[in-house]
Amino acid sequence: MTLQVCIMTPDRIFWNDQADEIILPTNTGQMGVLTNHAPLITALDIGVTLIRSNSNWNPVALMGGFALVKQNQVTILVNEAESAQTIGVDEAEIAFQEAKTKLEQSQGEKQRVEATFVFKRARARYQVVKQL
Amino acid sequence: MSLRRAGLALLRQQGAPLVESLSATTQQAQGAVREAVEGCSRGVSTLAVKQRMKSVGNIQKITKAMKMVAASKMRSATAATENSRGIVQPFLRMLGDMPDTQGAKAVFVPVTSDKGLCGGINSTVCKYTRATVKAVRDGAAAADSGEAAPEMMLVVMGEKGRAQLQRDMRDNIYGTVADTNKVKITFPEASAIAEELLKTEYDTARILYNRFVSAINQKPTIATVLSPDALERAAAEGGAMDSYELEGPDRPEMLMDLAEFQLAATLYNSMMENNCSEQSSRMSAMENSTKNAGEMLGKLTLTYNRTRQASITTELIEIISGATALAG
Repeated sequence: MTLQVCIMTPDRIFWNDQADEIILPTNTGQMGVLTNHAPLITALDIGVTLIRSNSNWNPVALMGGFALVKQNQVTILVNEAESAQTIGVDEAEIAFQEAKTKLEQSQGEKQRVEATFVFKRARARYQVVKQL
Repeated sequence: MSLRRAGLALLRQQGAPLVESLSATTQQAQGAVREAVEGCSRGVSTLAVKQRMKSVGNIQKITKAMKMVAASKMRSATAATENSRGIVQPFLRMLGDMPDTQGAKAVFVPVTSDKGLCGGINSTVCKYTRATVKAVRDGAAAADSGEAAPEMMLVVMGEKGRAQLQRDMRDNIYGTVADTNKVKITFPEASAIAEELLKTEYDTARILYNRFVSAINQKPTIATVLSPDALERAAAEGGAMDSYELEGPDRPEMLMDLAEFQLAATLYNSMMENNCSEQSSRMSAMENSTKNAGEMLGKLTLTYNRTRQASITTELIEIISGATALAG
């Protein structure tokens, strides 16, 4: 028995495939889902989800949303999703470093919140390419 | 033409002395007169028809071009529209679709176009908006729950809808959103509009738009999105949500986030669908216009030829009767 994983963004269905295990980046930390998991709704933070087929781990960067698990069907609804194919390694690394410095230099609540958001996105994208 | 030449030859023959003295100048004069006559007396009746034909021909060209532009825009919009439908389904599956929910504040979002010449889709949406507002108002009165009638607010998307609805529902219009289509419709754009909508603190939001069924079929549709509070009330009575465990924030906060996401996703989908419907409706409207212009041009051409032949015949009669008068 396998999981049916479906990642949907408002623009399109990003991913619709079978998997053995999926690790979700929830607000409270990483959470693993195997087959026959109890029904679950969880909010997802901006981060990387890892999808395992046999022993291949596929990383996908998710930009915040929700995940629903029911009867071996995992539905992930996010604002945006990116997989390793569309992220350039160097570009992601540069963006990550820039975002990190910007976050450290940010002052004031508003700047800090915005900088954190950009940093999380850059980090997620960087982590996806770094995995490979 | 030969009759005319014969008539003129007769004239020259019969009225020889008179015509010979004039013959040299007559040739020139004839040329000049012919031109003047063509433009004036013989041409007066045909001139009006000719101008009409020219303008109808231009209209035909323009509507044909508009149809092709709309067709190509529709082709590129269809794929994106179908893709945007996917994310709405899980929300409906989980949160349910409760179109007859009552509440203290009802917001209606008619989605219309900014530009015209797109057939009847905007009128349809406005008609449905008026009917739905009335139905909700009557429904609330019938429910007789003792509460005051729900406050109705309109957030109109698109200039055409605003123009039509402000005639009789001006007081209810909370705001208008225009020029959404100037650059591409994107999800961040829909999210920004959704955020503004949430500020109205509605209980139910009803989005009225034209769903794109096919190139010749656009269906007016209502999508109902409940506010977090209304969802909480519905969920408290037992719903799909109960079967789920919740990880992370507790249910009220989770419902709020879900409701906001649902509103943005539904709004994005309805904007895409309406845009696609607008292009396909414009395509068929311009197709009809081109066809009608072609028919009109055909009729005008017949009229023009008839007029032209009648005036030539009249001129011939004049010449020949003049010649026979001289001869006889």
